[in-house]
Amino acid sequence: MDIFKLRSPLTPEERLIKRKLIVRDLIALVSLFSITIALAVLTYFLFNSFLHRRQAMAQTWLQEGESAMARGRPDAAADAFRSALEYGPAQRETEAKLATALAAAGRRQEAVSYFDSLHESEPGNGPINLELARLSATQHNHSQAIDYYQRALDGTWEGDGYTRRRLVRLELARYLINTGDYSLARNQLLTAAGNAPDNPDIKIEIAGLMAQAQDPSDALEIYRTIAKENPGRVDALEGAARASLDLGRFSLAQTYLEQATRHAAFASQPEPIRGQYRDMLAETTQLLNLYPGSDTRVGERAQRILHAATIAQARLNACVSAGKLNDPELADLTAKWQQIPPKLTPGNLALQPQVEQLIMDLVYSTAIETEQACGTPSGEDLLYLKIAKSPLAAGQQ
Amino acid sequence: MQTAVPTRMPDLARIAPRREERLFLILSIFIGVISGLLVVSFRTAIEWIRLLTLGPAPHQGQYRLVLAPAAAGLVVGVLVRWLFPAASGSGVNQTKAALYIYNGFISFRTVIGKFITSAIAIGAGHSLGPEDPSLQIGAGVASVIARRLELSRQSVRLFAPIGAAAGLAAAFNAPVSAILFVIEEVIGRWSAAVLGSVVLSAVSSVVVARWFWGSEPLFRIPPVILRDPRELTAYVVLGVCGGLFAIVFSKCLGYLRPRLREQSSWNRFLQPALAGIMVGAIGYFGFPQVMGPGYAVMDQAMRGQFVWKLLVCLALLKLLATTLCFSSGTPGGMFAPTLFIGAMLGAAVGTFEKHYFPLLTGTVGAYALAGMGVLFAAFLRAPLTSVFMVLEVSGNYSIVVPIILANTVAYLLARSLQPVPIFEVFTEQDGLDLPSMEEQREERVLHIEDALRPANVPIVSGDQTIEAVSALIALSSAPAFLVRLRGGLWYAMSREDLTASAVTMTGETSIERTLRSDRAPLLFPDLPLDTTLSYFPRWPLLPVLNRANRNNLEGVITLEDVLHRYQEF
Repeated sequence: MDIFKLRSPLTPEERLIKRKLIVRDLIALVSLFSITIALAVLTYFLFNSFLHRRQAMAQTWLQEGESAMARGRPDAAADAFRSALEYGPAQRETEAKLATALAAAGRRQEAVSYFDSLHESEPGNGPINLELARLSATQHNHSQAIDYYQRALDGTWEGDGYTRRRLVRLELARYLINTGDYSLARNQLLTAAGNAPDNPDIKIEIAGLMAQAQDPSDALEIYRTIAKENPGRVDALEGAARASLDLGRFSLAQTYLEQATRHAAFASQPEPIRGQYRDMLAETTQLLNLYPGSDTRVGERAQRILHAATIAQARLNACVSAGKLNDPELADLTAKWQQIPPKLTPGNLALQPQVEQLIMDLVYSTAIETEQACGTPSGEDLLYLKIAKSPLAAGQQ
Repeated sequence: MQTAVPTRMPDLARIAPRREERLFLILSIFIGVISGLLVVSFRTAIEWIRLLTLGPAPHQGQYRLVLAPAAAGLVVGVLVRWLFPAASGSGVNQTKAALYIYNGFISFRTVIGKFITSAIAIGAGHSLGPEDPSLQIGAGVASVIARRLELSRQSVRLFAPIGAAAGLAAAFNAPVSAILFVIEEVIGRWSAAVLGSVVLSAVSSVVVARWFWGSEPLFRIPPVILRDPRELTAYVVLGVCGGLFAIVFSKCLGYLRPRLREQSSWNRFLQPALAGIMVGAIGYFGFPQVMGPGYAVMDQAMRGQFVWKLLVCLALLKLLATTLCFSSGTPGGMFAPTLFIGAMLGAAVGTFEKHYFPLLTGTVGAYALAGMGVLFAAFLRAPLTSVFMVLEVSGNYSIVVPIILANTVAYLLARSLQPVPIFEVFTEQDGLDLPSMEEQREERVLHIEDALRPANVPIVSGDQTIEAVSALIALSSAPAFLVRLRGGLWYAMSREDLTASAVTMTGETSIERTLRSDRAPLLFPDLPLDTTLSYFPRWPLLPVLNRANRNNLEGVITLEDVLHRYQEF
């Protein structure tokens, strides 16, 4: 059989050598294994000692950076964050902090570059898009800023994404208000108001921004609701008063101002603020005393109209005398005033509602035109001007 | 240097014929694991030394930035001069020398010396990298183990590249690149004898390295999406820049290194310290990024943290610092500085593009990665490795097209302007005569078709009679003729053989019956020409067949034709 021929014809001496060779190889392999184990243990300790040191260093530098930022030293913070990243690489949060520090340190190009890079790796990351939006805003890149804000809103947020998105939306609204994009700001604020939780603080903040975005009507609605649901909130009453004033609803404003100034919490506010609201109340009261509202008694109303006419004509004459003789608008107003029957008494006037209306229209036109020609007036002229801007609303509750 | 390979027992191959074959694979795994552990320790030692010498956050204006590399240079100078003379240099050429000159011998002292001196130099801020020393440490481990087990000289020689692959794989955390580099730069050709072991050791070492460092790639960039093919132009520009930078880098090293080596021994002893002072000065005056291997800086560049002017500045300063350190004989590698320069260059092109052509979508990280590959291809002349290296260190295969394009441009440009690769420049400077891997790769091989001549000899059929064939041959002056047989087989017969057959057989006998049992070899035009040489003692000429139809002749070939072709070549 061929298979038996394959057996090596080794001599006894060769067999001994072979056995020794096998034993020696086995010993060598066992030794090698032991060396490998020993080396692995040594490497493990060496590596872990450095790993712990590294983690500690990363943490130390991170804290150093955060405290530098808190101290208002973004340059030092950027260096510290860089070191933190060297010892603990690929930490997104630290990277974002570094980029923020760079931006705060005025190293905008580096910051933009860094954020761009972060954005490329995580285009849907909310905080990164927010930082890019802020940077674009500081660089006056309006459309890009809005784009990044929008991506931040649509992006992912760790933790309480709901709250963070609302904050971003409010930040965007503030930015839009600052840039004069009131319409876009109002859209954002309406969305924010719709999604806002039942928290009066948040709602008051939104209402305040709405007022800034020239949307006093929606602001008033929110303030009113809060004031109704939270009687303890004097700031809601104050806000409602301010919004009412912006809307020209002086009667309503007076109501809120009176409630606010009588409120128990009003006294705890700083004196300048209290003084401000008291002045507003006084002025509103004065304005309403001048306003010939439909609910005013007939005689009283006629007297107020005649008083308004006197003030308006005096203002017009003063304005014309101040060198605006050739102003066609003022000339036209002068002509119209001349058509008003002279020597009107409250009794006569009370019987002529059309003339009352004509006079009040002339009063309001005069207030508006003289403001344009001769600047913002003061005193009662100013009050009539305020009424002139929304004469029908002044008496609304 | 005398090799210490022990004398083999004369009858060992007979006593245990499969011993080495079996040990080969087991030892490959051990070599991989031990190399991996050593490389992890080596890198950790570098980090510790860096922390202890340069401090936790090196920044400009610190005196230690000058003092640490200078002192380290002095220590390294002493160690290399008196204790570890074979530890200087990068380690790649030393490994090649071990393979081709010293029968795979790398002493244990060299391994220890390389570990200690490189760790001190690199850790203290010398502008060199840990990869080439890791390669030599791996090769040294393999050599020591193979010698301890008293393997044959051939096996000891083969173990050096196996260990080299393991060391490099662990250093880069990239097994494929390490295998390719060893094949491209150390072995020079694909060898089935070692390929399995190289793969096994590289994978083992990477498994060990990843156990410590994790499996995350060295650099992470977002996927590269080429929305506009015109963006490839930017990668071509990067390839051109990289090619030119590689040439400048090569020229600088080629100029400075031999001049420093010519200096007196005392001067050479002080050179690492002087190089350390100069590199430290670069750090002291504002660019500490160029100190050490610079992987953290590469990462920062990829994340777009630097403006393009600073990136160009860092690339130039790194080139200068590395030229100084390497030329001074400080132990340490060229890989990391090459990648650093490439990354800075790539990031500079990327940042410039982003700034001036914002519509293009390439990320800075993608350009930095491409830049690494570009320099690797152009400077180290390892084009295949350069592509895979970039893919492996980033774990991102979406960048493959730009990488191939940029690397090819850089490689071709560098090769045309600087025909001699940098490792061969060093080899020549060291007075060694190692094979050129680039030449080996591009060596032109002659094929049978290069020496083929038309079949202008008589062709007869196997069933023709001796008489008929003799009559036909009489009309020809050819010394031999071909016999076509069934099944696409052929036989080449000389006139003398025919005459001998005619004497012993009748004229009516078919020619096929006179033939010996063997048949002419099956040769085709695309086979290497040297394959024919072994057949000529037996056959007077050889038929060259068509692969589609072996009954068809493409031509014939004779020994004279082959020799004449080689003489012309």
